[in-house]
Amino acid sequence: MQLKMWVLTGAAVTLWLAPLVALNKRIGWHKSMQGLSLCGAVACAVGGGNIARKLADQAEIEALKLRAVKADVEDEIATEVYVSRTQRQQEAEAILAPSNAEMEEVRERLEALYKPEPSKPAEPLVQPLNQPDDNALAVEEETFTSLNLTKNQAIELIQKLRSELNQTQTIEKLWECKKGGSEAWKRAYAQFKSLMDE
Amino acid sequence: MRAASLANYFVAGCATSSLLGWVASLHPMSFRAIAFLTAASFILWGLCWLLDFSVSSWLKIPVATLQALLVAALAMAVIGAGVLLCS
Repeated sequence: MQLKMWVLTGAAVTLWLAPLVALNKRIGWHKSMQGLSLCGAVACAVGGGNIARKLADQAEIEALKLRAVKADVEDEIATEVYVSRTQRQQEAEAILAPSNAEMEEVRERLEALYKPEPSKPAEPLVQPLNQPDDNALAVEEETFTSLNLTKNQAIELIQKLRSELNQTQTIEKLWECKKGGSEAWKRAYAQFKSLMDE
Repeated sequence: MRAASLANYFVAGCATSSLLGWVASLHPMSFRAIAFLTAASFILWGLCWLLDFSVSSWLKIPVATLQALLVAALAMAVIGAGVLLCS
């Protein structure tokens, strides 16, 4: 199409100028040829102009189509970016503002963590008092009662208990044995007597 | 392409002007007719220059386009006639 347009343009210029320059006006058939060539030049020029106008219109339409496609792509990208940003924002809001159930769960966990525990009764010592210490001096000292108290400790404790308990109750309490003819009672009674004598 | 289109129409106008001159050279009567046509066209051209805004609104084209067309028409007539007379 474009080649046809350029051929018509060239033909129009040639048919316009060449006969007027080359042919003699005084010769009859020359003059006739000039007239015919001028008519042909006008026809070729108009035809070439029409083709060029069509091509120009098509080029404009193609440019419009290209711009429309570009605009569509840009619009699509912008929409995707907007949707993605909105989605991320919603996710962030969902993370920052949890549901009531989650809030309640978190609150309960925190309360459980920071709730002061009720004071437990002091646990009894696992080991009885005055256990032999490896680092202690190697001198063996006699111990009394089931608590392995030293003599002074035992005397002090007995004196305190004697204000409330009688002798039998005190021995039963400290040596953890029942009154009777058992060996434990006899030994406990002997220790008690020896402590009270001193 | 737009420029090629305008150039082709310009060449067509020039060739038409030369053709009118060639027709005028055929016979004295045709010369008078072409002379009358040329005079009428020139008057019309001048009126269009004077009444450019009215004519442009009547033709529904911008004034600048009308003025460009008038200048192009004058150039085509002058070039076409010049080529015919100088050849």
